[in-house]
Amino acid sequence: MNLAYFTHLWRANRVRLLIVTAALVLWGSLLPVIYDAFGEQFKELMASGLIPRQMAEFGGGDIFSLTGSVALGFIHPFAVALNLVFSVGFAGAAIAGERQRGTLEVLLARPISRRRAYGTALVASALFVGVTVAGLTLGALAGTAATGRIAELGPQNLPLLWLNAVLLYMAFAAVALAASVSSDRLTPALGVALAFVLVSYFLEALGSLWPDAAFLQDYSLFHYLDARGVLSGLADARYFAILAAVIVAAVAYALVMFPRRDLAAPS
Amino acid sequence: MAVIETRGLTKRYGRELTPALADLDLRVEPGEIFGFLGPNGAGKSTTIRLLLGFLHPTAGGATVLDRDIETGSVEIRRRTGYLPGGIAFWDGLTGEHLLDELAAMSGRPPVRRADLADRLELPVATIRRPIRDYSRGMRQKLGIIQALQHDPELAILDEPSEGLDPLMQRAFYEILEDLKRDGRTIFFSSHILSEVERICDRVAIVRHGRLVALEDVGSLLARRKRNVEMRFEGDPPVLDGLAGVSDVRVAGDRLTCRLEGDVGPFLRAIAGTQVRDLTIEPARLEDAFLEYYADDLDRAVPA
Repeated sequence: MNLAYFTHLWRANRVRLLIVTAALVLWGSLLPVIYDAFGEQFKELMASGLIPRQMAEFGGGDIFSLTGSVALGFIHPFAVALNLVFSVGFAGAAIAGERQRGTLEVLLARPISRRRAYGTALVASALFVGVTVAGLTLGALAGTAATGRIAELGPQNLPLLWLNAVLLYMAFAAVALAASVSSDRLTPALGVALAFVLVSYFLEALGSLWPDAAFLQDYSLFHYLDARGVLSGLADARYFAILAAVIVAAVAYALVMFPRRDLAAPS
Repeated sequence: MAVIETRGLTKRYGRELTPALADLDLRVEPGEIFGFLGPNGAGKSTTIRLLLGFLHPTAGGATVLDRDIETGSVEIRRRTGYLPGGIAFWDGLTGEHLLDELAAMSGRPPVRRADLADRLELPVATIRRPIRDYSRGMRQKLGIIQALQHDPELAILDEPSEGLDPLMQRAFYEILEDLKRDGRTIFFSSHILSEVERICDRVAIVRHGRLVALEDVGSLLARRKRNVEMRFEGDPPVLDGLAGVSDVRVAGDRLTCRLEGDVGPFLRAIAGTQVRDLTIEPARLEDAFLEYYADDLDRAVPA
């Protein structure tokens, strides 16, 4: 990692990071409060059979249990979109964006190897993802505390939930960075990374809503964010290992690919 | 020890049949200003990018500051200042902030920054403005400062005077001359022939990715044909068959010819003629350049 480049990335993204994290804190705190206010009514609604049971099973999230409402906060498209600002937006633009703007020339004119530049972007991605997911986790804790249901949540499992979500979004970030080091243009890099996320989300949604397609969930990275299981103390170590393996594979690809590429003059 | 030495340096992109750079052999000696000439697409930027590790050679190799370009690229860049052609910056930063960040990334203090900013007339007030407000010329000045602020042993400059007004170009040439006096080496590409002619010790000319000339500017100019125009009284001098003289044309009292090499034989041949006026136009690098590119120019002329 190059500290000076890291500082540059930090300064360039800190305001955005603050805004996204604040939004995630608010979002994370909202769902336990909604559960506290309307959970029982929703539970009765579900018991009436008016809403199919599958609707309450996506990502283990629901709003008629505390762990379910926290899990919904993590898997909801709004939270996913906010977390993707850094795991796909920042990571996808980290190299390809600099290349397209022509600023990669200025950066790599310094005594910074391509691997070091990549490593710095990876560490920055990890920091930003860690902070945004921490915002969501702390928001959930704050919301739960506001309703006086802390004991019900099992706050000792929150660090593990944070790690599970960080691994998920770092897997997306590693894929986005791999696309970024392979491209001279921002659009293809972001397109590949975003397509990977959307396909993954679609497979998870389809598998959870349609029992016959449940096997598709195994091919979705979102499936390995098991917020409800983690909060219930039933974390599956294999889920963490699978996400970590995706990160390792994408990082290995980028570390091999980036130094070997020719960086022709920007057109 | 040469500062830059290439041996059969070749670069071919993908499956293209014509290499972007073919079999380049050149040496740049310490303390010289070396001009690298050629039109767009000739292979100038490809050479620079190979030297700095942005590209990998297809064949051959090179050393810069005694380091191999493939294995010692980071160390090369530690000791080199680079101005890319059409440089881009992080526009949200101020000029000062950018220079601070780049100096930190270089790991060397910006010992020349204040002097460079002063000579390129980039005052503190301007340097503290966001780069997005800069004009093209100001960006180029900032580019020059970032390349030279840490006092590199070797400066590699791609079209450095682009966007500078004539006054600033002069200031820039003086900076290069000062760097040379301090023992620094400068390698720069250009298609502005007058600047190469003015400041370079040696020049290489590339064409279609191949080196077509590599010599010192003085001898290149000495071998160029000069244009001679003479007005005389009485009989014209006899110049036919005289060494170095060609294209002799006489119209009334006016004689024109082209003169190459030593002027002595020509002066002796006209000694007996009553000369009213004599102009020997200095050889220009542009003429040399045009001569090397005659084929391209011929192709450009519509039939």
